[in-house]
Amino acid sequence: MKKFAYYQPKSLKEAYGLMEKQGGNAKYIAGGTDIIWRVKQGMTEAGALISLRGIEELAYIRLNGDLALGSMVPFRTIERDSSLAKAYPSLSEAVSLLANPQVRNVATVGGNLCNAAPSADCAPPLIVLDAILTLEGPGGKREVPIGDFFKGPGKMCMENTEVLTQIRLPKMAGNSGTSFLKKGRVSQDIAIVNAAAFLVMEGNLCRKCRLAVGAVAPVPLRLRDVEGMLENQEISTELLDRVAEKVEQAVSPITDVRSTAEYRRVLSGVLVKKAIREAHQRAGQQ
Amino acid sequence: MTDYTFVGSEIPRPDAPDKAAGKALFISDLVKPGMLYGRIKYSEYAHARIKHIDTSKAERLPGVRAVITGYNTPEIRIGFMKDNFALKKDKVRQFRDEVAAVAATDPEIAKEAVDLIRVEYEELSGVFTPEDALKEGAPLIHEVDPRGKPRKDNVIQLPWNWSEGDVEKAKDASAFIVEDNYETQLIQQTCMGTAGCIAEFDLQSNLIIHSKTQIPYLAQNDFNQALVAMGLKGKSTRVIVPYLGGSFGTGLDTHGYEYITILLAYRTGRPVKILLNRVEEFSYLSPRQPSKTHIIQGCDKEGKLTFREVNMLLDNGAYVSWGATTPTVMLMPISTLYQVPNFKYHAKIVYTNNTYCQAMRGYGNPQATWAIENNMDQLAEKAGIDPLDFRIINRNEANTESFGFKITSCGLEECIRSVGDRLEWKKKRGKQKAKARGVGMASLFHTGGGCRIYRSDGTGIIMKLDDFGNVSVSTGGIEMGQGFNSALSIATAEALGVTPDKVSVVFGDTATCPWDVGTHASRGAYTSCNAAILAADKARKKIFDLAATHFMPRVKSILKERQKKDPNFEMPDFDFESPRDPSEFDLKGNSVFLREEPENPFLRISLGELLRAVHFRNQGTMIVTEAFYDPNNTMLDPKTGKGNLSATYTWGAQGAEVEVDLETGELKILNFVSANDVGRPINKQTIMGQFYGASVIGFGYALSEEIKLDKGRNMNPNFLDYKIFSARDLNFPLNIELIETNDPEGPFGAKGVGEPGLVPTAPAIGNAIYDAIGVRIKSLPITPEKILAALKEKDKK
Amino acid sequence: MKRVIKFILNGNTVSAEVESHKMLLEVLRDTFELTGTKEGCGQGECGACTVLIDGVSINSCLYPVFEVEGKSVTTIEGLVGEGGKLHPIQEAFVARGGIQCGFCSPGMILSAKALLDENRAPSDEDIKRGISGNLCRCTGYVQIMDSIRDAASRLSGQD
Repeated sequence: MKKFAYYQPKSLKEAYGLMEKQGGNAKYIAGGTDIIWRVKQGMTEAGALISLRGIEELAYIRLNGDLALGSMVPFRTIERDSSLAKAYPSLSEAVSLLANPQVRNVATVGGNLCNAAPSADCAPPLIVLDAILTLEGPGGKREVPIGDFFKGPGKMCMENTEVLTQIRLPKMAGNSGTSFLKKGRVSQDIAIVNAAAFLVMEGNLCRKCRLAVGAVAPVPLRLRDVEGMLENQEISTELLDRVAEKVEQAVSPITDVRSTAEYRRVLSGVLVKKAIREAHQRAGQQ
Repeated sequence: MTDYTFVGSEIPRPDAPDKAAGKALFISDLVKPGMLYGRIKYSEYAHARIKHIDTSKAERLPGVRAVITGYNTPEIRIGFMKDNFALKKDKVRQFRDEVAAVAATDPEIAKEAVDLIRVEYEELSGVFTPEDALKEGAPLIHEVDPRGKPRKDNVIQLPWNWSEGDVEKAKDASAFIVEDNYETQLIQQTCMGTAGCIAEFDLQSNLIIHSKTQIPYLAQNDFNQALVAMGLKGKSTRVIVPYLGGSFGTGLDTHGYEYITILLAYRTGRPVKILLNRVEEFSYLSPRQPSKTHIIQGCDKEGKLTFREVNMLLDNGAYVSWGATTPTVMLMPISTLYQVPNFKYHAKIVYTNNTYCQAMRGYGNPQATWAIENNMDQLAEKAGIDPLDFRIINRNEANTESFGFKITSCGLEECIRSVGDRLEWKKKRGKQKAKARGVGMASLFHTGGGCRIYRSDGTGIIMKLDDFGNVSVSTGGIEMGQGFNSALSIATAEALGVTPDKVSVVFGDTATCPWDVGTHASRGAYTSCNAAILAADKARKKIFDLAATHFMPRVKSILKERQKKDPNFEMPDFDFESPRDPSEFDLKGNSVFLREEPENPFLRISLGELLRAVHFRNQGTMIVTEAFYDPNNTMLDPKTGKGNLSATYTWGAQGAEVEVDLETGELKILNFVSANDVGRPINKQTIMGQFYGASVIGFGYALSEEIKLDKGRNMNPNFLDYKIFSARDLNFPLNIELIETNDPEGPFGAKGVGEPGLVPTAPAIGNAIYDAIGVRIKSLPITPEKILAALKEKDKK
Repeated sequence: MKRVIKFILNGNTVSAEVESHKMLLEVLRDTFELTGTKEGCGQGECGACTVLIDGVSINSCLYPVFEVEGKSVTTIEGLVGEGGKLHPIQEAFVARGGIQCGFCSPGMILSAKALLDENRAPSDEDIKRGISGNLCRCTGYVQIMDSIRDAASRLSGQD
């Protein structure tokens, strides 16, 4: 395996300093479950890894109506947090369906997002829940809505020295519901397609709708045009069929070892439909 | 039926504690003093001429002790047609081709050195389907045959043509005929313990190799031939086999990496280890043979089969190995699964630039059964007969013969009925389409009493008793996780009259263990246990002969000792003086006793005591017995193609209830049942383990596994991209029943059962899907993509 | 870069000089010669390399060794008690056929331990989830499930 140095800063400032000193040759590492493999295989070049594990200020869950989630909280903690599951079920479900227990014990939301895979399971729920990401670097702090974060497969909008420190979710409105669905070839797989929905209902009418789908475009995709179809409408079977058709047109899936473009296209529509139905049901239960 | 003390019980396997404790040693755990680490450089093209190999930078890297290529080592030809080479010269024919190798002081240096080797290629156009390989003007994968004669095409000359009766006449006499095409994919054995070996030479240039093999003796033979090629004629090979970490057929042949390790060890004069990592295991070992099958079957008005005609086109890949011989096993279900009065089977095998294939559990039977059992359902439908009834009408029966296969015991009917009952066939078949649910089944026929594909199907056992009544059984067979050691220790205990905890199995060393052709074809327990029974009988004979002289005097001594200690003890009035006959004695539960008085506590001594008495005396003796068991089977006759390959056969049936999600094409298995004619279980726990494990591999074959090749390159060589079942995928009941037909030839009536559990799994599921939604998926794996596409096609019509 | 790290290994404080690019798996196997932990894939997919760190199951093939400083690591060898007495979970696997070739067993047993330490009465779904990161090619998981159920009752019996 390629040799790399390994640093364990205790603060963000120390981390920036190490990153700057390494030039372009270093990468931040969170849980490591993606990046170690890529470095081993030579897919990612890194002369040094700068670990974020020792930076205590990055691991916290502050649930107070809204959610402030430190980027280094391991999935293990999130999936066991019943208050978080109740407040933001789609995020909790996505985390619990990701990889396997050993990976979830060290992997983090921050790492999952910064890996920027189009199939990232955390992305669709965070998109539909209007997540705001805090990026911090030697130059200061900035907030980026998640819709602006992903730039392409494996690419996101961060500078080399920046660290994703926090994910913030606004409080979910009353009469709202959110859901997450994922399909793989077997129970444990990278998503062939994943999808999330968020609905705010007023009686029978949908007042606000957010939809996102993953693994079917260069980035996790927010389906803005489709959302419009549902706003101020009753959620009928006929509407959902039209929604599915529109989703099929909105996505640009590829064929790879996991699935075909044709199948992913159809499955996107079906999963979004199912996600809407489930979110609708949950909204009704509030 | 006989009651046995140990056979049929659920004794924990003897190798389990060490494995639970992490103490069992696998090839990856072995190190030798001074050992170097080898690594192989593989081809960068599917088909290319090698123009030049520059190893200079690699040689100069500190820590590198040898760099070898096909140009600086003696040519070693491998494979049964000798068309393959340990290291490739002149040409590469697949991405797997080994072009160079290094040995270095640590694995990281070895990897760096491999990266420093520069190979210049001239790319050639490649062929990646057998159809393309057959086209006029297709590039030749091998320009010459192994004897140097120019080849004219890519067809491999193997005599895979068999027939019985008159198929054409039978077609005319048939009331119903169905014809269709079926395909199966490449899948990998995915042993959890990856492949590897350690080779070293002693001071006399004899080879010692630790290897992950199922065939220590055939491997020894192969390696001896390699030694001849290396100028070491007359030198010998010792093969030592650690715990395997699974094998599933990967260890059924010798591999390029083994010969390369041997060459590196000889070049460096030090032990060299090559261990494949997971990506290398996927990319550079040989998978299960894929298949393309055209099948035609017919039956009369009453549903009795009239003929079966099968034509196969097999993608051989770049070199000939066991994949090319799978038709000899495919012959079995084709000629004999159900009563088939007329059949014709032709398999054409073609070189391509894809990976070549070797053995995988089932060895061709799953591929053939996929086509046969789907097509049986198609024929039943055309004839208007329920598929279960159709199978019963055509079932095989005991004491019959089919194309040379002598069927002794046969529990097929019972298996089919059991599956039907447990699936609630009558209630459900054809009746749940509104819910997109269905039931389906398929049967199997496989070797269960050895398999004579080589000049010998034999196995030897050496049975050694020590002074404490412990029994050490040396076997040429291999424990690869299937429970071989357990079966052998139970059979020994039962046959000899000791308890299993007194028996230890010694395996895996050609220097000390007797010859065995290989642990394959489900033959391990069957042949070794039969050999053990013979050796145990010999041991019993010796024990009783010795008892005739020594038993009573020993009893007398013991009683006299007791009298000395306890003056009140009254000496029983036995006849200590008259000579005894061996037939008066028995051995059970580690004690030798007089048959006539089994309850008398004075007329019984421990086996250990007797053995010490006969050993520690003037002109003493110890007991070691041996037996070589070669089953009563025959090879396929080269002229007629017929032969009774196995001394007995296993039968079984599997059935599934499934539900299809019509929106996503996703398949849900609701229930899975199987019934298997096993003769008799030797260890109830390990035999169930074999069937559970095989079934789950069957599910993977049916639903999720596929090696994806893109112009010969393996695109998914890791567990993220190639999916086998995890525990969560087993989200339905899996119910396995054992049917005991008590085979006359089998050890205690047992048949060999390592493989059958995965043979009919795919068609059972495929047939259930057809019942559910009226579409038949004809290529494996059955994926939601294919189901959805088939539903769309159906809706169009 | 090299560093001397100090941590607790199977209950004993140990230290070793290790290189920065090494994963815990290699260090356990090569430096400490504890070969019970296996490399099955190196990718975090098969679980053969599972060890417990502060009681939590992780894939040691992807765990940078520097991170183990000050932590408590349990390998399969650490479950074996005085005089070679097997842990109740190991005994259950032996008794119920949960082991065939044995390669996945150390990782499987440690995942079972992590599960049972957190949930002493797991449902079948809980068990499947708990071992979902441990691939086995031999057993088909059925007798592994039997073994873990048996282990749960052995451990409850002990409480």
